[in-house]
Amino acid sequence: MAVDLTPVERPKSAAPWTKISAQSKTLMFLASTVPAVIYLALLVVNNFDFMSSLLVVFLPMQTVASALVGLKIYGRRGILDGLLVVATLFLGSFVFVLLVSVLWSVVQAGFATLSPQFIYQNDVYVTPTTGLEIGGVGHAILGTLLVVGLSTIITVPLALATAVYLTETRGKSRGLIRTLLQAMSGLPSVVTGLFIYSMLILSGFTSYAGWTGSLALIPLMLPTVSRVAEEALRLVPAELRNGALGLGASAWSAFSMVTLPAAKSGLVTAVLLGVARIIGETAPLLLTTSLANKTNLNLVEGGISTLPTYLYGYVSLGYDTSIQRAWGAALVLLMLVGILFVAARVASSTKSAKKRK
Amino acid sequence: MSELTEVVPPKRKLKVKASSTPDRIFYGIATAAAYSTIILVIAIMFFLSLRAWPTFEKFGFVNFIFGSGWDNTLESPSFAIGPMLYGSFLIAALGVILAVPMAISIAYFIEFMAPKPLAKTTALLVDLLAAIPSVVIGLWGLSIFSPVGAHWGEMLHDAFGFLPMFENDADNFLRTPFIAGFIVAVMIVPIIASITREIFSQIDQDLIKASLALGGNRESTFRKVILPTAAGGIVGGVLLALGRALGETVAIFFVLNLVFDEVNWFRIVLPEGGAIASLILSKFAEATADEVSALLAAGVVLFAFTLLINSIASFIVVKAQPWRK
Repeated sequence: MAVDLTPVERPKSAAPWTKISAQSKTLMFLASTVPAVIYLALLVVNNFDFMSSLLVVFLPMQTVASALVGLKIYGRRGILDGLLVVATLFLGSFVFVLLVSVLWSVVQAGFATLSPQFIYQNDVYVTPTTGLEIGGVGHAILGTLLVVGLSTIITVPLALATAVYLTETRGKSRGLIRTLLQAMSGLPSVVTGLFIYSMLILSGFTSYAGWTGSLALIPLMLPTVSRVAEEALRLVPAELRNGALGLGASAWSAFSMVTLPAAKSGLVTAVLLGVARIIGETAPLLLTTSLANKTNLNLVEGGISTLPTYLYGYVSLGYDTSIQRAWGAALVLLMLVGILFVAARVASSTKSAKKRK
Repeated sequence: MSELTEVVPPKRKLKVKASSTPDRIFYGIATAAAYSTIILVIAIMFFLSLRAWPTFEKFGFVNFIFGSGWDNTLESPSFAIGPMLYGSFLIAALGVILAVPMAISIAYFIEFMAPKPLAKTTALLVDLLAAIPSVVIGLWGLSIFSPVGAHWGEMLHDAFGFLPMFENDADNFLRTPFIAGFIVAVMIVPIIASITREIFSQIDQDLIKASLALGGNRESTFRKVILPTAAGGIVGGVLLALGRALGETVAIFFVLNLVFDEVNWFRIVLPEGGAIASLILSKFAEATADEVSALLAAGVVLFAFTLLINSIASFIVVKAQPWRK
């Protein structure tokens, strides 16, 4: 009798291990809910200390339950499987709890401080213990915009041109420069503050001013912008570029008319990420600018407050109301970062970016 | 019939030099910008070292880096950063130990466990955590986490007090290296997680499917296939995070009690610790001229260490991703 040897057609995504029977699913569900329910019940009845009981009561219970289910479904080796799932989910949700705790504390305490006048007033008549009815972060918002704006204006052309050098030219030092940018991206922020301080202020060239703060932020922003911009330029297909060059375009017109439009959204993302990187930097500004209570729109002289230094200043005063003000500033700062974050997301997910993938 | 001869393209050199004026300007600007980064790095090293030199000359490299004590009130002030340097590494190590399991769990969850929409949301949340400014995390650490962390420290002391690690004779569990390490962990989890995720997502799916098809389960696939393949990248990510942890300034300054006279070797729930970056911040405001030079010297040491760690890290990360050229 002839055996039929024609190969069986295999479904494209054959993954029999993902098929789980309904009984097993129920067991898994029970294993993940029952210990939690028991633990919550115990918590309500006995009034345990949350963290220690979580580690001493809930986690062992959950571990045993998952191991048992693993044993039931997959046999002896399923035990470790269950443990892996428990560990992953537990640690993952721990990070989630941390994130929520940070955000929630800022939002809650920040909104208690926030009021229209907190946004637009400055702190000229404010002492550390003045109530929250007067005074605000208006001058610090303006200061942040000015200081960060100046560093953006200086850094962005520099960083984009560096990215162009890394991707569009055949320069000899590309490897070296890439390494240096990588090294700079790990530069401790306090060191850049010390650098500008020792170069400009200690030598008596200038006193504390807004522009020294802007300069101190440049080494922090430069690597972020040029790295992301480099990635964006690299994503532009070589055919496009070669096509333009083959049609007789000069390197400059090929870049400005073909590569640049194709990489536009990526470059915008690079700039936004760079701004988000430096907008919360505190240490360099503490070393190169001095705090001020009044609005100062002059970057060349005089003290200028920014949101991070404002926050730092009020925290170090240590009074209840000053800490309250710090929370308010934290909320405003977080909102600015959030806006940049969302803008960067939107910019990087526009049509042209999707097409390239 | 004419014979067909093969057409040999004329040999010619590709033009390397720009021919037209706009091109020359274009290349000129790009090159100038690129070289300005070299100048910037050299300037940072030059100016810091220039001002720091008197301190190194006066106290000697070894004494300054490994000695202890920081006092500007004496007749002849003495500056040394031994406890701060060690404290920086202790806190960074604590942060890494706490952060690595969390980061790997999150990366594993995003890449291999969660259904797609949930994975996307989680990745977004991790990026969000990375975007929170460190001063805000410092404020959270000071007002919200410190009491909780002190409570945890006390519980550790009660349960494991017989171990020298959890000794505490100060009757106070606030402002300890443990709390500082935890705050640092919150900041570096997203860094390690995103690099690990990147590496996980690049692992050849066939490897994983092969392991599963051969009867491997989730756990053995993770332990024997995913982890070994990704190990290099994870180590690189951890080192990058270590560099960030060493440079952390404000947040640690908020939550740590700096002790300059002696090194707190391992008693992590004792309110004594050190961190170079925070030392710079704490002493800067009222520094004398000599002290400023010493602070700059501390900055040089910090810069040197982070530079070293970062270069090793980026080397490893690049080696671990051969597909990225």
